[in-house]
Amino acid sequence: MKRRLAVTVLLVLWALFAARAGVRAQARLGAVDAMVTDDKGRPIEDAVVSLMTFGTPATAPPPATAVMDQHDREFVPHVLPVYLGTRVNFPNRDNIRHHVYSFSSAKKFELPLYIGTPAAPVVFDKPGVVALGCNIHDWMLAYLYVLTTPHFAKTAADGKARLDGLPPGTYEARVWHPRLRGDTEKTGKPLTLAAGEPAQVAFVVSLKSEWRIPRKLVDPYKER
Amino acid sequence: MASVRLPSLRSFRSFRGQLVVVFVGLFAVILATCFIVVAAAVRASARSEINEELRLAGTLFVRQFEARSQQLLTATRLLSGDFALKTAAATADQATTRSVLENHRQRIEADVLLLLTPEGNIAADTRDPGRLGVTFSLPGLLEEAEQSGEASRIAAMDSGLYRLAVVPLLAPVPIAWLAAGFSIDDRTAADLRRVTGLHISFFHRREPGLVVQASTLDGADRDELERGLAGIRREGVIELAGQPHVIRVERIGDDVVVVLQRPLAEALAASTGLFRTLFAVGGAGLILALLGAIVVARRMSRPVLALVGAAQHVAAGDFTTAVSVQRRDELGELGTTFNTMLAGLRDRERVRAELERAERLKRFFSPQLAELLSAGDESMLASHRREITVLFCDLRGFTAFAEKADPEDVMRLLRDYHATVGALISRYEGTLERFTGDGLMVFFNDPVPCPDPATRAVRMAIAMRDAVQRLLDEWRRRGHTLGFGTGVDMGYATVGRIGFEGRFDYAAIGTVTNLSARLCQEASDGQILVSQRVYAEVESLVEAVALGALSLRGFARPLLAFSVVRLRAAPPEAAPPGTLTRQLAKEEPR
Repeated sequence: MKRRLAVTVLLVLWALFAARAGVRAQARLGAVDAMVTDDKGRPIEDAVVSLMTFGTPATAPPPATAVMDQHDREFVPHVLPVYLGTRVNFPNRDNIRHHVYSFSSAKKFELPLYIGTPAAPVVFDKPGVVALGCNIHDWMLAYLYVLTTPHFAKTAADGKARLDGLPPGTYEARVWHPRLRGDTEKTGKPLTLAAGEPAQVAFVVSLKSEWRIPRKLVDPYKER
Repeated sequence: MASVRLPSLRSFRSFRGQLVVVFVGLFAVILATCFIVVAAAVRASARSEINEELRLAGTLFVRQFEARSQQLLTATRLLSGDFALKTAAATADQATTRSVLENHRQRIEADVLLLLTPEGNIAADTRDPGRLGVTFSLPGLLEEAEQSGEASRIAAMDSGLYRLAVVPLLAPVPIAWLAAGFSIDDRTAADLRRVTGLHISFFHRREPGLVVQASTLDGADRDELERGLAGIRREGVIELAGQPHVIRVERIGDDVVVVLQRPLAEALAASTGLFRTLFAVGGAGLILALLGAIVVARRMSRPVLALVGAAQHVAAGDFTTAVSVQRRDELGELGTTFNTMLAGLRDRERVRAELERAERLKRFFSPQLAELLSAGDESMLASHRREITVLFCDLRGFTAFAEKADPEDVMRLLRDYHATVGALISRYEGTLERFTGDGLMVFFNDPVPCPDPATRAVRMAIAMRDAVQRLLDEWRRRGHTLGFGTGVDMGYATVGRIGFEGRFDYAAIGTVTNLSARLCQEASDGQILVSQRVYAEVESLVEAVALGALSLRGFARPLLAFSVVRLRAAPPEAAPPGTLTRQLAKEEPR
């Protein structure tokens, strides 16, 4: 018992230490405020700002999970950036079935007509853009953006995104958007983050028109 | 009044005929003009009708084509939504993709289905499995699809004409283009012709001009149409197989036009009935015009012909035929003028006839009587009593002479004798009642009275005797025994016209003529025997020898007679001859 108690105490102590150390470390980590606008200064929503690391990759975080809802015959969110290897669940919150598919090279998959949450999440193990559609609702469209860096954030309606917990170092800031004209690689901006110092990065991007089938019909069976 | 002669054929031809020809000719010209105008109007109307028809047909055609294009677009869009197709296009191999395409082509019964990469290269073609990686020949269509989300048009593709629709294959982002095409060929044109009844040709504009792609026409007409189209923008007329066709050009796509056409004759056929009616009405009108013209011409020519007839009468010397023209126009005036002229001619003719008659009368009567007669005073021709002095004279030995001598000599003598005494009768204004060969009877104081008939008679007798003696001297020298005797008496006699219709004489009948004749018989050559009454009148004027009482045949008792020898020299001449007053003697009872 004593031994168990001793271990417990040790563990607690370690934990306290670790926590303290973590706080210290936290205090040393930086944040970046990103701003994405179009060439007319209008904020752009759903842009994914990422910081690419060079050299040794950041310590691989544990496999994450993410959720792409289907709600009211729309994918929610419209854009979902995930870290490589993330397991994504596609819960269907409508009372009708959906048929989620992707023919994107980054991940070809199909979840034939289903209700509720499929038992197994889909693992996105290749970087790139995955365009999601629903076979029975042509207008349903969402993008999964599979990144090779864990440092990313999505802009809100005001075009702003905040990236936290960034160890000091040199990065390349990139921006991606489903309608981005040109390659995301070409948006790269070097960014050096000093410890404890916030940084800003701003992108001015040009967007293409969107290929999206408009949701014209009012569904007579629409229910809540 | 003489009747007007019927107009001769020649005048009918020349005048009435001309009138008819002019009338009918004018009508025919008007009719022909009407026909030409109507024909032109009908033709224009037919053409505009066809134009309108073609315009409508063209509009409908274009609409229909647009609607069909829309249908094709919808069908293609439906196909593009097919998940299996998307799956195949995105994931499966070429063979599967092509197979799906072929399957889907049959679903919409399209002629061709194409799968194109987003960049515009052919990924699958139902017509040609091996055709891959080739750039799609209508980049413009893809551009339009990229802009608008989808596109549809009629265009020439791979040497054929197609109605094409292009939609993106969305998964849900574009992964490819799906293009569906319906071939537009002769069969399409024939189908459309069945619906519209028009000839239809599709042309593709290529350098240097339009090239026919599909048509309901056969080869030669196609070429002709192709050539004819060069000068036409929207509508016009082209000769095809010798027939004018109205055509209309509608643009239905990129450098693609459809040409609709219809023969002009088809629209004109509707007017055939109208023309038939026009011809019938025109023909009837022409006949009526002809009849009317004949009637009018006859009415117009009748007074002219009447005038011609009347003029012919005048030319023939008949001035009595007046024309009857009851008109108020120029012809009426002409008729009136003609009648006036005729009246003038009649007057002149009458005067001329009178003069002629007077001349004639003068040869038979004394100038006085002739003048009275020619003056129209025939009252003195009625028998009346008048105291006259009668002179008888004749040639002695004339009968014997006439028997002996040549007839030519007899006639010459008579001519000379008559000329001699005739001149004196005229000079002394005696009335020659008659002459019978060598004898003649002259009386005075009738019909023109004279104040001194006895004196005149005796003076004339002396003058005659002297003149005739001179004449006879010549004949006597030739050995003919001829003499001249005269008897004169005066007294009342019944004077006037005697005889019968056709032969009248102005004669004096009474004792005085008998006595003077007897005295003449009694007279020897060169003797002038006068009665007592005469002698009493001329006693102072002449030297005479009393012969005593003579017993004369026809007279109961002897009568005193005197032989006038010569005029007394002393007393001057009484009133010279030729001063007679024109005064009719009063009729006096015996």
